[in-house]
Amino acid sequence: MKFTCVRHLSILVLGCIYISSSTLRAERPINFAQEVLPILSDRCFVCHGPDTKKKNLVRLDSYEEAIRDLGGYRAIDPKNLGESELIARIFSEDDPMPPKDAERQLTEYEKDLLKKWVAQGGKYARHWAYELPKKQTLPKIQGQKLQPIDAYVLEQLNKQKAGFAPEADRATLARRVAFVLTGLPPEPAQLEAFLKDNSDKAYSNLVEQLLASPRFGEHQARYWLDAIRYGDTHGLHLDNKRGIYPYRDWVIYALNNNLPLDQFIEWQLAGDLLPNPNLQQRVATGFVRMNPSTSEGGVIPAEFQAKNNFDRTENLGTVLLGMSLICARCHTHKYDPITQKEYYELLAFFNSTSERPLDGNSYTYGPVMKAPSRLQDWMELNNAEQHLEYLLTQAHKLAEGPKQQKILDEAKKRAQLKLHDFKLTQSVDGKAALPQADAFSQLKGLPGKVKQKLEPKGKALWLSFKVKAALKQSFTFTFSGSSKSEVIFSGIKLTQPLSSVPGNNHLQKVSLLVDKGEHEIQVKLVSDKKDVPLELSFKNPWSSLVNKKSWLALSKEEKLALLKEEYGPLAELKAHSSISGLQQKMKDIEGRFTTTLITTELKKPRVTKVLQRGEYHLPVGDVLEPNIPKLFGEFPKGQPRNRLGLARWLTSRENPLVSRVLVNRIWSRVYGEALVRTPEEFGLQGQHPTHPELLDWLAVELQDSKWNLKHMLRLMVHSKTFKQSSKFRTDVRDPENLLYSRGPSYRMDAEVLRDLALWGSELLEAEAGGEGVKPYQPGGMWSALSHPASNTKKYVRDKGKKLYKRSIYVYWKRTSPHPMMTLFDAPSRETSCVRRSRTNTPLQSLGLFNETQRIEMSRKFAERLVKSSKDNNERLNVLFKLVACRTPNDLERAGCNKLIEFMIKRYSNSKEEALALLKTGEVPRDEKLDPVEVAAWSQLVTTILASDVALLLY
Amino acid sequence: MNDNHPLSELDLSMTRRQLFGRTALGLGTASLAHLFQGSSSLIANEASKAGQDLNGGIHHKATAKRVIYLFMSGGPSHHDLWDYKPKLKEKYGKQLPSNIRDGQRVTGMTANQRQGFPIAPSKYKFTRQENNDRGVYVSELLPYTAKVAKELCVVHSTFTEAINHDPAITYIQTGSQVPGRPSLGAWLSYGLGTMNENLPSYVVMHARSRFPEQSLFNRLWGTGFMPSDHQGILLRSQGDPVLYLSNPKGVRSEDRREQLDLLKMINEGHHEKYQDPEVLARIKQHEMAYRMQTSVPELMNIKDEGPETFKLYGEEAKQPGTFAACCLNARRLAERGVRNIQIFHRGWDAHGNLPREHESQSKDVDRGSYALIQDLKNRGMLEDTLVIWGGEFGRTTYCQGGLSKQNYGRDHHPRCFSVWMAGGGVKPGITYGQTDDYAYNIAHPDGAPMFPQPNKENKWTPGTMHIHDLNATVLHLLGIDHRRLTYRYQGRDFRLTDIHGHVIQDLIL
Repeated sequence: MKFTCVRHLSILVLGCIYISSSTLRAERPINFAQEVLPILSDRCFVCHGPDTKKKNLVRLDSYEEAIRDLGGYRAIDPKNLGESELIARIFSEDDPMPPKDAERQLTEYEKDLLKKWVAQGGKYARHWAYELPKKQTLPKIQGQKLQPIDAYVLEQLNKQKAGFAPEADRATLARRVAFVLTGLPPEPAQLEAFLKDNSDKAYSNLVEQLLASPRFGEHQARYWLDAIRYGDTHGLHLDNKRGIYPYRDWVIYALNNNLPLDQFIEWQLAGDLLPNPNLQQRVATGFVRMNPSTSEGGVIPAEFQAKNNFDRTENLGTVLLGMSLICARCHTHKYDPITQKEYYELLAFFNSTSERPLDGNSYTYGPVMKAPSRLQDWMELNNAEQHLEYLLTQAHKLAEGPKQQKILDEAKKRAQLKLHDFKLTQSVDGKAALPQADAFSQLKGLPGKVKQKLEPKGKALWLSFKVKAALKQSFTFTFSGSSKSEVIFSGIKLTQPLSSVPGNNHLQKVSLLVDKGEHEIQVKLVSDKKDVPLELSFKNPWSSLVNKKSWLALSKEEKLALLKEEYGPLAELKAHSSISGLQQKMKDIEGRFTTTLITTELKKPRVTKVLQRGEYHLPVGDVLEPNIPKLFGEFPKGQPRNRLGLARWLTSRENPLVSRVLVNRIWSRVYGEALVRTPEEFGLQGQHPTHPELLDWLAVELQDSKWNLKHMLRLMVHSKTFKQSSKFRTDVRDPENLLYSRGPSYRMDAEVLRDLALWGSELLEAEAGGEGVKPYQPGGMWSALSHPASNTKKYVRDKGKKLYKRSIYVYWKRTSPHPMMTLFDAPSRETSCVRRSRTNTPLQSLGLFNETQRIEMSRKFAERLVKSSKDNNERLNVLFKLVACRTPNDLERAGCNKLIEFMIKRYSNSKEEALALLKTGEVPRDEKLDPVEVAAWSQLVTTILASDVALLLY
Repeated sequence: MNDNHPLSELDLSMTRRQLFGRTALGLGTASLAHLFQGSSSLIANEASKAGQDLNGGIHHKATAKRVIYLFMSGGPSHHDLWDYKPKLKEKYGKQLPSNIRDGQRVTGMTANQRQGFPIAPSKYKFTRQENNDRGVYVSELLPYTAKVAKELCVVHSTFTEAINHDPAITYIQTGSQVPGRPSLGAWLSYGLGTMNENLPSYVVMHARSRFPEQSLFNRLWGTGFMPSDHQGILLRSQGDPVLYLSNPKGVRSEDRREQLDLLKMINEGHHEKYQDPEVLARIKQHEMAYRMQTSVPELMNIKDEGPETFKLYGEEAKQPGTFAACCLNARRLAERGVRNIQIFHRGWDAHGNLPREHESQSKDVDRGSYALIQDLKNRGMLEDTLVIWGGEFGRTTYCQGGLSKQNYGRDHHPRCFSVWMAGGGVKPGITYGQTDDYAYNIAHPDGAPMFPQPNKENKWTPGTMHIHDLNATVLHLLGIDHRRLTYRYQGRDFRLTDIHGHVIQDLIL
């Protein structure tokens, strides 16, 4: 076994060397950035790169250094290229470079390449990823009008004397695009409509429906959560619960709303630093708080202040810059031009956030704020806000329009509403009726608060006053007293119960509508407590407009108060009742708010210095200001030196990496593999893009489209490249699909596999967002690991509909995520993951066939099939259409029928076993159906859902 | 050829995955990964070496074919178990001299304790055991382990930099104090592959403890940035021994066979249509899963063990989840070709009431550890099975909390702790390194405190064993050069030992 595989290898290796040297035979200009720099970086820079400390040692990371006189010789001698020391040494027998014992040696091909490069002048160029992306002229391909993606892909294919693969059949394409955009198959009706529609618009209609689906954001958000390491626990030591799921819901919400990605980033990195940040912008800053944290007894706060900062800085590097910065934490980067000082300057942006370095093992590891606890609330809150905004705009138009003066005049009249002639009785029996007029005596000091106290213990005081209005209007007054107090208006007792001011049940609020003229009001003041002072106040909303003289000068609250007036110059807007409704709705939503971790800035930033060897207790050198690495030029002028300035630089046109890095990851979601196959590394040690010009075109297009994610996805899924059949080809050698010579084909992610089965079984819960859910999990998994003091020691599984929510909502304990997630390559989210591995293991098979929820889903799916038709063939059609968007072929049909036959026979002989199977999971079985039949079909469904027909995107 | 140029690899007719997938037996994926990163000479070298019998190793001949790591989580007290300091009795309650502490970083738990740093001598009796060298003193807490002293290589001079559990255990298991790197076990799985097609290559067990005081984390047997198929598979004592191993109620093995036959047919059909080689790889995994449904219960069924087994391991070994039962499982796994076995035993974090806790902990592990060594030896397997016993750090000489002659506590101590190894090419019956009179610092042979320093080659002072050196040595015994077992992530070739680690040749036969 060993022998054969090794032999096989050497053949392969020889093969590629042969081919590579053949390409060199013809003298062609060597591309430094693409061909030479990676070799220098990988083989030479460890000693001769940016981190070279010895003065007399040559540095090969720039032309200036390479041609420096080293005492009679130069690594590259521009005047006498043939005498260049670099070439002499790499070919030297006695004193070769790299040294004989170096771990990484140059191949003959590489030596040859370096020699040719020096012979051609030894000129340097910048690493491609550090140059700003530009849209180049599109390749012209004869006779074809192609969109840019296809033009670039076909150009490469043509070089291999190949063209596009044929288009995938329509049903397969519908399945593919639905999974790519929403993580679920197309709905049967949707698929049906698409297949029936022969117009040109059919596909784009489908795409638009998918992009508009609320499922879109749930699917797309997963990738972001992996990258920024979202978890529901702190991640270290006790690994206690952390309250931050409103952030997760916000991400979904933002993506569904297609929030431009530049703002998406800006809000997350620095929403708190925007002027008057709104709820979304502040909740988004949960991003900065995503680092794992600890409160292990005995840890040193300063140490974790440093570690938290390292984590954030390096996460920023991976997620947005596509660069590993970790080397520069301890020393100047070995490969990329980033000094240790620059690392700490970048870190300084984060060294001024206000949370403590240790989490206190607390759910509310501050700063926190209140935020919506489910996705529906985000939407309703937003709708309410937009509705209010609409009304305010209308009001603005009216109040600033031709009627401006009339409105002001009317406001003046209404502002004159007056309360006067206050009188008060002595203490009377609380049950007594309204006393005679002579029992009242004058009282001064109202409206306001007076020394007089209310009478407790069954006694009461009676207050009387007059209200004088110039026009019909409403007015609201507040008085001290319990809810047992009474109000008599113009001789009629108010029948509706009094409503207390929130938070104070000894303050009652009364709203009355008064006609023009003077009216008498009596109030019986009752109190349950001693020492409650008598007070009465009222606010006339119109005074604000009179005082400030202009609508524009009013605050939002003042405007809303006026709009709530049923009578008056703004009444024609008919806003008064809807505003009350909207405000009530917002109040209800706020009542359901939960806490979420956010970021705020210290007034005075912490001092940042270089930490020697990355040790928290070894700060050295000068105090550092926040700054971006020199490699990227100057920090933008006029931007603040804080996270906001950083965010603006990241999303500016001056940043060469962010749009490339983002678009590369978007591409990989659509095509299965990224253009830069190392999406976590765009630096010198990363791979070159398979299609550099295409990557740049897309990166610029992202910027040109105002960072429009849906636009980019639309472009991609409409490409011929995407629509190709994913069948492996024999006419072009492209096993890893580097040329995109076929459509994507891969095993889908853990979440998608679970969601697909939930969907097919009609168990999928529609409710979106909310606290992480805990589906079935084998016993003891958490307790086997957890600290006895941890509040995630015990896994308490949920019941009812929470078991069936989409997998993005599955609770994420970072030291032990759900096994059905990790078995299928979901990361732990302790660190950033921008590319999941895709493994095949026997444990996955065991999970697919034996896990409780898989069985539960299968048996409900089976019930659906059994109910759909009496005919086995028809049932098989339904099953295959749901998971594969097609009917089974003859072979599959025969195989399935055989299994069904076997199972029916087998369960007929043992009905108890059928019933036992149908008891798996919480949902009860449909008693009306034959358990033998359902069990048999359930076994079939399990099998089909475990097969590649269901597991793969193709 | 340069690996930065994806399109230049087009001539490879197979994907890397396919290529690596073919080598699941014997040769691990790691050595092959070199092919795509290194030079042609390296390839030639590698290929010729692989042709020789390296006894399962990938860079040189392995002396250990498998490793069983008994991990004592929480930090066992070297004072009370392995590091005999009779002179300390006289210093009971006295303050630890400041020149001994020498500015040592102390955890937040004892840094400011009012009583300062009073010395707490061990209350336990130590007995000298003959070994193949000068003999070794073993605490009365480990009477069974003492019996195999002639097999043990006890290292008194192990040290680390981390002083708190989470960073320290992550450090010793992954080579880094912060999460994100592959574990030792994952590296071995990546490097060595498997010898048994019916069982996972890397198995982890959690043994029961009365004081499960510190947390463990998936990352300790996880794969970090490496593909997740190298992660440790938990062999559990509760429920299914392997997750989702058993069929649900109402499903029999015959049913599953029928299901898998249909599955195979459908997958082959899919393969015929799409020609995606991954489909074939998955068919194999389904079959292996089916075989595991037999092989794992067979593994766990200890009824076939004779009475002599339980005479050796004790009756406790019949109770699933005990350390002894885990040790017996470990031997059974080793027999079946599983190369990489780890048992985690929690509860060694004795900040207070150390005697009560350590007595219980020692009782948990003592007999099982002994029996495992003896059993392997009896079966002729010890010579190619490496057994390791140790925790993430040691404990302090000075007392944490109340001190009496009968009761005391000890804080975390990274500067020195004791670890033992046995079998697999390690010198049997020796001790290595020593500590000062306080068991506070590693010491020179004359007893003077030594403060290990890295030399120009980043090698620590001889006589010491940094945890990177421990890991380097473990890899070496398994036929792996720790400098050459690399995995590229974010443009860097990562190693278990980071940029550190040296093989301690003195420990090797």
